[in-house]
Amino acid sequence: MKSLFWKIFVSFWLALILFAGLTLWVTSHYLEKVRNETSNTQPRINTINYIRQARDFAHSGNVEALRHWLRQLDQREAIPYLLIDEKGNDLLKRPVPLYLQQRVLRKERRYRHDDDDDDDDDDDEHKHRPPHHRPIIINGQRYHLMPDFRSVTLNRVLNRPRVIAIPILLAALISALVCLLLARYLTAPISRLRQATQKLASGDLNQRVSASMGSRKDEIVELANDFDHMAEQLQTLIESHKQLLRDASHELRSPLARLQVALGLAQQRGDSTTIRELDRIERETERLNELIGQLLSLARLETLAEIEREPIALDTLLKDIADDAAYEAQASNRDVKIIHSMPVVINSNRVLLSSALENAIRNAIRYTAENTSVEIFLQNDSEKSNWIVIKIRDHGPGIPEEMRESIFEPFVRVGEARDRQSGGYGLGLAIAKRAIDLHGGEISAANEDEGLSIIIHLPVNDS
Amino acid sequence: MYRILLADDDVELAEMLVEYLSKEGFEVDTAHDGKAALDKAVRNHYELVILDVMMPELNGFDVLRQLRTRSQVPVLMLTARGEDVDSIVGLEIGADDYLAKPCNPRVLVAHMRAILRRSEPVTETARSTADILTIGDIELQRGARRVLLNSQPLTMTSTEYRVLEVLLQDAGQVVSKKDLSERALGRELNPYDRGLDMHVSNLRKKLGPLADGEERIKTIRGIGYQYTRP
Repeated sequence: MKSLFWKIFVSFWLALILFAGLTLWVTSHYLEKVRNETSNTQPRINTINYIRQARDFAHSGNVEALRHWLRQLDQREAIPYLLIDEKGNDLLKRPVPLYLQQRVLRKERRYRHDDDDDDDDDDDEHKHRPPHHRPIIINGQRYHLMPDFRSVTLNRVLNRPRVIAIPILLAALISALVCLLLARYLTAPISRLRQATQKLASGDLNQRVSASMGSRKDEIVELANDFDHMAEQLQTLIESHKQLLRDASHELRSPLARLQVALGLAQQRGDSTTIRELDRIERETERLNELIGQLLSLARLETLAEIEREPIALDTLLKDIADDAAYEAQASNRDVKIIHSMPVVINSNRVLLSSALENAIRNAIRYTAENTSVEIFLQNDSEKSNWIVIKIRDHGPGIPEEMRESIFEPFVRVGEARDRQSGGYGLGLAIAKRAIDLHGGEISAANEDEGLSIIIHLPVNDS
Repeated sequence: MYRILLADDDVELAEMLVEYLSKEGFEVDTAHDGKAALDKAVRNHYELVILDVMMPELNGFDVLRQLRTRSQVPVLMLTARGEDVDSIVGLEIGADDYLAKPCNPRVLVAHMRAILRRSEPVTETARSTADILTIGDIELQRGARRVLLNSQPLTMTSTEYRVLEVLLQDAGQVVSKKDLSERALGRELNPYDRGLDMHVSNLRKKLGPLADGEERIKTIRGIGYQYTRP
């Protein structure tokens, strides 16, 4: 039985058959046992007890109480107990099977025969017989309490569950145990797989599961093998991606480093005819250098699943970045102002959070009109408790409504005219978005009456 | 004329840098792998060593780690751009400063000069004002640029020495990070620059707590550092 399908099918089937069979066997065994007692000369202790109880009622002369007791007995016992008079009728008017009628008549005949021998000594005569063989006398009428073993039907047994409760309970417990083991057997490897998947998703690419599956061979093991294969592929892919990134970064940097030194040498020589072009080359080299740096940080952020966090005073960090940016913005007659702030300590990664904020602020400076300020607000989130909002607002042209999402993608350009003077959004906002995502936060853009707001929502962890 | 060692596996780059730096007044020795760099740095006396992280044989970190067991020569690490972890690792094992590569050679020279200024012997006039600064169990000998803790000399890089000197001068007062960066490192503080924090963390490790168990250099969150005056 290799396949999980057959394992489930067969084991459920077997469990069902087992339970049904066991129930049938228990009841039929019970019936069989009861019926066999007809031939047994030694009556059951129960019967003797019942006869004694019936006699007690008879002695007190309360026929109604006797009837009531008899009805209750009938409801309780799987075996019908009939109280039959000399003519073969039951006290409760239940039908009396022929064999019992005959037996009663036989008893009566024997009794009368004995009676003829000695009329005077009625009681004495009775003392010869065991008490349960003596008739019960009610209002002068003689009755016999007879268990009707042959009338024990399956229906009667099932209507009186007390009778076979224990064996049925046992059967239920055994089948419960079987089903429990089966369920465990089926779900244990699945939860192992689930654990591994979660760990894989959180970046642990060394997760493998086949080895922990033991000697089983079914669909789950096939799934485990597929999982391992997938993890293997993923690991190779990510490692080669990282390797490519490392190699490319090294390879891109080396010529750029040489270019910069060569440029430096040319500038040192100070040839006045080329000084303007050299300055231009220097600016473009810096831009290229910055772009490569951004590209690499974005690529690295994309492969990062977990970040190292430490408590950081967000208000201070924001002020430092804003001051720094303001210093540069003032060179082009723009300013950066913190309009609202408050003390917040946030468990975060300093480098990533700084780069997110810096990218968003520098971007705003690039687009805000001359002689205007980039305005920064840091406040509590009005919608979510334990979250804060940072709003970075520029006084620029804003963006077309349909681009509110896409400006966070790498190298998205908003409009031709805009980009020629500004250089486009490039990678700054893409890096900011990824860094904020890694902190479990959200970043969005909204057009204001005049200009654009970048809105960052961040959860504040308690630690 | 400062004598410096430049360790970089890019031969062409090194050649051009030698030319550039010599015009700026440096006498430059070069090494193209980690082993050679360590060898030269230990055997010769340099005023500054520039170490590239990515080098064959021994990488820059390994060279620095082994070098620091024998010498406190000022070291400038050239780390890969964007590898922020590298810069922290470098400072942790005792680099004086780091620069992301590729960088403008003008910026490189500015950083080199800042480090050299820090390690320069103090001028006669400065020395006479307060040659020895003693605060509690610590003694700073400015002339010799030596630090004694309970009369035992401590080894530290010139950058660590400068940071400690500034903190001791203002002992009992809070020195802002910006101020400390400008006075001790000779450059402006960058908002996500961890360099200063790393130097302070190294100092804490070397000095240990005060005799009564109190922290020697306290972090004043959001502002800066304070040397506890006993």
